[in-house]
Amino acid sequence: MLGKGGKRKFDEHEDGLEGKIVSPSDGPSKVSYTLQRQTIFNISLMKLYNHRPLTEPSLQKTVLINNMLRRIQEELKQEGSLRPVFPTSSQPADSLSDSYREAPAALSHPASPSAHPCDLGSTTPLEACLTPASLLEDDDDTFCTSPAMPPAAPARVSPPALPPEKDSFSSALDEIEELCPTSTSTEATTVAATDSPKGDSSESSLQKPEGLQEGRPDDAKLMDSLPGNFEITTSTGFLTDLTLDDILFADIDTSMYDFDPCTSTSGTASKMAPVSADDLLKTLAPYSSQPVAPSQPFKMDLTELDHIMEVLVGS
Amino acid sequence: MPSHRMPSEADIISTVEFNHTGELLATGDKGGRVVIFQREPESKNAPHSQGEYDVYSTFQSHEPEFDYLKSLEIEEKINKIKWLPQQNAAHSLLSTNDKTIKLWKITERDKRPEGYNLKDEEGKLKDLSTVTSLQVPVLKPMDLMVEVSPRRVFANGHTYHINSISVNSDCETYMSADDLRINLWHLAITDRSFNIVDIKPANMEDLTEVITASEFHPHHCNLFVYSSSKGSLRLCDMRAAALCDKHSKLFEEPEDPSNRSFFSEIISSVSDVKFSHSGRYMLTRDYLTVKVWDLNMEARPIETYQVHDYLRSKLCSLYENDCIFDKFECAWNGSDSVIMTGAYNNFFRMFDRNTKRDVTLEASRESSKPRAVLKPRRVCVGGKRRRDDISVDSLDFTKKILHTAWHPAENIIAIAATNNLYIFQDKVNSEMH
Repeated sequence: MLGKGGKRKFDEHEDGLEGKIVSPSDGPSKVSYTLQRQTIFNISLMKLYNHRPLTEPSLQKTVLINNMLRRIQEELKQEGSLRPVFPTSSQPADSLSDSYREAPAALSHPASPSAHPCDLGSTTPLEACLTPASLLEDDDDTFCTSPAMPPAAPARVSPPALPPEKDSFSSALDEIEELCPTSTSTEATTVAATDSPKGDSSESSLQKPEGLQEGRPDDAKLMDSLPGNFEITTSTGFLTDLTLDDILFADIDTSMYDFDPCTSTSGTASKMAPVSADDLLKTLAPYSSQPVAPSQPFKMDLTELDHIMEVLVGS
Repeated sequence: MPSHRMPSEADIISTVEFNHTGELLATGDKGGRVVIFQREPESKNAPHSQGEYDVYSTFQSHEPEFDYLKSLEIEEKINKIKWLPQQNAAHSLLSTNDKTIKLWKITERDKRPEGYNLKDEEGKLKDLSTVTSLQVPVLKPMDLMVEVSPRRVFANGHTYHINSISVNSDCETYMSADDLRINLWHLAITDRSFNIVDIKPANMEDLTEVITASEFHPHHCNLFVYSSSKGSLRLCDMRAAALCDKHSKLFEEPEDPSNRSFFSEIISSVSDVKFSHSGRYMLTRDYLTVKVWDLNMEARPIETYQVHDYLRSKLCSLYENDCIFDKFECAWNGSDSVIMTGAYNNFFRMFDRNTKRDVTLEASRESSKPRAVLKPRRVCVGGKRRRDDISVDSLDFTKKILHTAWHPAENIIAIAATNNLYIFQDKVNSEMH
């Protein structure tokens, strides 16, 4: 159920990106374009995470942001050849990753996996990456520097992992974490991953440096927690297309994101309760070592709850 | 009418609407209140000046609610107000928040009956033994009282957020549009509405487009238009089918490849659509432009005006700070020859369709004294900066003019600038606030 392959793809694109940015053969416009795209991608992700609690986010805004993410993802998919392949713990048999694996022959921008994103922040003059892309502003330093890593980034990366591949992402997570302050739990990331679909916003920000230090397998789970967060923060299901199919993972059981008749007609958020309960149980199943027990009483009520929801919101 | 309190979130004006004669002007705010202004009769002392608009009535239209099923707050913010054509002495308007539309009746009372035979002034029954003669009750003048009463509540019709309401020219029905559906209501029936557009995909994962605004044709009660977040307009004919999922006409402009960017789709999202008074044209606002469409030409707009093209290089920042999602409205003047729309920094723009001249004006308390003449403002982009020019970098993006309204016949405009309402009139270049 874990989408390791998907996670690997996500990392790939980060990695390819960093590689491109520091590649000296790149023209400034390419560098800035990639940087801009990455920045927009990060901003978009954060926008989906970050909205006022208890209020329904604007569907229009969510759809537009989601389309933006889809578009960037589509571009990345087309540039799949640019992304280097690195070994991962599992090789899912999805066609997407296959195509990625076959593609590198067409590499036009050899990636330099050894380059660290921190270098990007320190060695790339802001102007260099800003001026060519007229869309990046010179009046917003925080925005411009956001793709650069916080100083603590290197320390977080565990030796076995390829350093650059997830830093930009982890920094995005850090930023997200800052945006949604919560008590940082030291539980295994698996818990974060499996709990997140429950709709608990505090759980959704559990991606923490500790989790990142635990190495690739855990990272995979960490990545897996993302779709759940999308699901929650946007209160809509359509994002799962993005997250399930492409960016994050490909082989996860998508049935948990399917709409049941009751929820699909009852609006965006009302499905959260029944669906997330399902999610919780399904995703918890492989991790029997994790505390499943507390959720067991929940299970008893599921069908009943479903029925009640159906009666209440079916229209 | 700038308020002199510290502006609070609830005071932010969220909609402005003249009635059909222009005698009344209604505003709604984020606090769920509706304030109605009435134009005073022309003053004898200053015959050159048209009557000013004074507060006529204020009432709480919507209250904050909580959706316990979804655990979500339903804001009281008034999204739209629409006046009904006046049928009798009373005025009626529709107001809506995200979910619920309400019909309000506004009546005046300036006389009260006196001298009943069986009741005293308080309405209590008199002791019949004291009634010795019969009298005819008379109406005595009293201080004008404006009474606002809720007449209908149209609830439970929308799953998503209502962005538009529009009263049909048949004066019997109206429609309400949310992100994915448009409903048709009869003004007298609250427990039933007909779904006339539904763009919700079977699977929400396939959702890439939402409805952003919608309006009935001013003369043909069977026609309406709705705009989308992808920049298109769909004209629908209710005679064609009960469910207008298939549009009659699709108005869409091909994307200009030279301006392609990550933000192309977001800035092409239509934030407002308005039929011209003649019914021949449609006016749309997207993030950077206003466009005039001819109902007879679907391929492209007949006119495109740049509202603040200097922001094109700032889109990334505007995306980051969410300004790019601001929903600017647009308005026609009474003769459809001038269009108006808002911008940032308390600026608003007017475009003369005949002379192709445009002007940037500012609505601010500092720069506008009563009856002062508005000075055109200019935003400078490059280095050549003239006196009084303002540079793009010093624009205040928190001061945005989203809501504007134009008097149906005269050159009087109402501008909502956050918590202030400015009313400007052209007649003798006089201005007031």
